Amino acid sequence: MSVPPAAFLAAGTILFAIGLAGALLKRNALSIFLSIELMMNAVNLLFLAYGRMRGDASSHVIVFFVIAIAAAEAAVGLAVFVALFRSRQTIEVDRVNLLKW
Amino acid sequence: MTGGLVLFALAAGLAIAFALAMIVETSPVRSVLSLVVTFFGITVLAILLAAPFIAAIIMIVYAGAILVLFLFVIMLLNLNEEAREKDARPVQRVLGLVAVLALGGLLLGLTLRAGAPPVAPSAAAAKIPSPDEIPLIGRLLFSDYLFAFEAVAVLLLAAAVGALILSKRRMD
Repeated sequence: MSVPPAAFLAAGTILFAIGLAGALLKRNALSIFLSIELMMNAVNLLFLAYGRMRGDASSHVIVFFVIAIAAAEAAVGLAVFVALFRSRQTIEVDRVNLLKW
Repeated sequence: MTGGLVLFALAAGLAIAFALAMIVETSPVRSVLSLVVTFFGITVLAILLAAPFIAAIIMIVYAGAILVLFLFVIMLLNLNEEAREKDARPVQRVLGLVAVLALGGLLLGLTLRAGAPPVAPSAAAAKIPSPDEIPLIGRLLFSDYLFAFEAVAVLLLAAAVGALILSKRRMD
């Protein structure tokens, strides 16, 4: 494979930065959550690239764990959004600004 | 220009373009569908990195399960367009954009500067052979990472129970 490893690192970092932009700039809690999923996948890509550069298969196991934890996080986070929507009728993060109720 | 390089450019370009589309898009459904294309590109990149099993897992778990869950929630909550009535916090948005550009540029510069491989790439190909990936991961999971593996199992159970309790209609 003639693709230089630095190209994979650059692609992963750019995807991470795009996810970061979404997480910081979006208002809808669901879009923020989607951006966080994108950031996790960008880090997975970086793990795979570094693992290939070092010849270490542990990176695959760590990516496996990241995916499992992302699945758990998605289930709980979406349940939180459903509960939030039931009590406030919105999931815009700007309008959920009270720590009471 | 070899085939691998063309495939990499195609997959990385697709992933980055649709990630940007996901950020720009105001409709949540279209955001999710853009992210599916991005994950497809990431899957191709994982295959290029000699990780076909991880690529399959990303496709099945992320695109197949997590994003479908997102679509279910979007339809359950009946979200269509993001409300754009008033840009209530322009200063924070500008600050966020500046922070993203600064941090993204910093990360990109650092990863590219520190990108020199500590081990020769030829050694990598010898130690992670593609047909032996699944037995290798299985052995590592049940030896070095056994405790983490069991802990993740408990975490998944706890998450399932927590999601059920959170989404119950009446808490009392």
